[in-house]
Amino acid sequence: MSSESSLFGHRWLPLLLVAPLMLLIVLFFYVPVFQAFYWSFFLEQPFGGGSEFVGLQNFRRVLTDPEFWAATGRTVVFMLTASSLAVIVPLMLAIAADRKIGLSYAARNILVWPKGIAGASIGVVFAFIFNPFVGLMAPLNTLFPGLWNPGIDGTDAFVTLVAAHVWSGIPFNFVILLAGLRSIPPTMYQAAAMDGAGPWRRIFDVQLPLIMPQLFLTFVLEFTESITSVFALIDTITGGGPGGSTSLLVYKIYVDGFRGFDLSGASTQTAILMVFVLLLAACQFVFLGRRLNYER
Amino acid sequence: MTSIDLSIRAAAAEIQLIGVTKSYDARTTIIPPIDVSLRPGEFTVVLGPSGCGKSTLLQMIAGLERVSGGKIVIGGREVQDLEPKHRGCAMVFQNYALYPHMTVAENMAYSLKVAGVSKAERTERVATVAKMLGLADFLTRKPGQLSGGQRQRVAIGRAIIREPGVLLFDEPLSNLDAQLRHDMRVELAELHRRIGATSVFVTHDQVEAMTLADRILILNKGHIEQFDTPKAIYHNPASVFVAKFIGSPPMNILDVTGDGHVLRLADGQVVANYAGEGSFRLGIRPEDISVNAGGSIKTEIRYREDLGSHEILETKIAEQTLRIAMPFGVEIDTTQTLSLSFPQARLHLFDGENGRAIPGAFGDARSASASVKEYQ
Repeated sequence: MSSESSLFGHRWLPLLLVAPLMLLIVLFFYVPVFQAFYWSFFLEQPFGGGSEFVGLQNFRRVLTDPEFWAATGRTVVFMLTASSLAVIVPLMLAIAADRKIGLSYAARNILVWPKGIAGASIGVVFAFIFNPFVGLMAPLNTLFPGLWNPGIDGTDAFVTLVAAHVWSGIPFNFVILLAGLRSIPPTMYQAAAMDGAGPWRRIFDVQLPLIMPQLFLTFVLEFTESITSVFALIDTITGGGPGGSTSLLVYKIYVDGFRGFDLSGASTQTAILMVFVLLLAACQFVFLGRRLNYER
Repeated sequence: MTSIDLSIRAAAAEIQLIGVTKSYDARTTIIPPIDVSLRPGEFTVVLGPSGCGKSTLLQMIAGLERVSGGKIVIGGREVQDLEPKHRGCAMVFQNYALYPHMTVAENMAYSLKVAGVSKAERTERVATVAKMLGLADFLTRKPGQLSGGQRQRVAIGRAIIREPGVLLFDEPLSNLDAQLRHDMRVELAELHRRIGATSVFVTHDQVEAMTLADRILILNKGHIEQFDTPKAIYHNPASVFVAKFIGSPPMNILDVTGDGHVLRLADGQVVANYAGEGSFRLGIRPEDISVNAGGSIKTEIRYREDLGSHEILETKIAEQTLRIAMPFGVEIDTTQTLSLSFPQARLHLFDGENGRAIPGAFGDARSASASVKEYQ
């Protein structure tokens, strides 16, 4: 053993030290995941009392259900729009805050605050902000009656969800991207200015290429997280409605499992969703991750 | 590297600074109004300690810093309100500032690309510059895969590819090790001869200044202390500041008092003849002091440094440090009190108040050294 042995002379001490954390991860992540995979091959009784091995019958049932595919489609649309916007909006804010424009120092502070707000609270606030009668859009509705009503119009409800998600994603992505921008040496901009590149050109030729590692990180986290973290927003803003138009996969799983008591169906969908997320993250790393690091 | 390649040759531009000043607010003035004119094709080194405003001056010429007042005229055009790209300057930065995500070729061609030069011409110009700088084999590499010296060459290549009338260097050699710095200095001098652009080179290294410059501009707290050829600056420093800044070890500066006939140290020793009265500062370079048995000035050796080619004796005289450079092979008895004389032709006299040189103070110096003894 090399230097490690001098740090940890005791053989079991390191294991003992990570044990509490490992216990939590096993208890609240690996066990439920295993359980979900296990149940997806069984027909579970809703109130206990034994289960029956059914092989792939659950998968057959779920995969032929048009409602599952509709929810998956909505999930993909949400993933693409919401997570892209949740990176692009903070990116624009970070580029602005990185410049010495007015109030950028104050903005850098204020933009971090939403990080401290729970998803459910954000949902309640946005349900109010986008309320068609008393919210921000109310004046528009008096001018053009029926223009905005997320309670009736599925698209409006979806837009509300995306807006709430983007807003809640601003602080974290903003901080990461701003840190990336700050790490670019100022002489890089000066060199680009001497080379004749104006501010806009510098964004695309210098800033964006140099914060690719940060952009990649935020995109990966957003893509994988948007799929699951949207639950709190759906639950508080739309409840999956109107007419199931905002019932994304993660919300459908909850409804199927805990309201419909279809434990096996919900477990099967959970397993599918999990594999989907893992594949997504893996693809991003394989296709993008390697090309993005430069030696400064 | 010796064949002269005329394909990259700029029309050198004259740079005039007219009352240029820089201040960040009412109280902090970085550079008080400055007037200076750099001739076309001249290599000017701006020399000064850190914080003297030399980099700010360079950035104002480049257009990276706004002037607070005054005019900058490059090639007959007033440019102080123009963006960097319209000033016809190119710059080499201390930390190279190469774009890490671009190859060497892309780095050098970037300014041409921004300017809309065709791909074929870009490739051709890159090839020419790369050949000139010995970078032809590295064109597809990223800066991260290059050594410090190679990166510096790329930075220089990026600057000269546009054939600028003015080349600005912001301490470009300070990140290199001693050997490389020497080699790059030689290359830069050669490059300047070949390209002929008006060059402004900012540094705090006096060796770079002495070896590269046609003229050295010495800045102190934003003021121009002296603007002259390296020779003149070395032999006729305009102030105590310049005298102490140039030379290694620097010129000795002794506080002396004049009584109308001679200059005396605080301990009463007479060091020179001078008709003035009051307090003065007397300068003499360590290599100009002659150590001989007949010398009238007495001093104690405190420390000696043998540098091989010569030896530096550090002595104390009237509570002031006096360094003496001894040529190789001169035997000195360090236990004895040292006898010195200051050849009057080699002395420099400065005003005791403002430190400015008093020119011609020892104009009749030749005969004076003999008469000093009479006062002993």
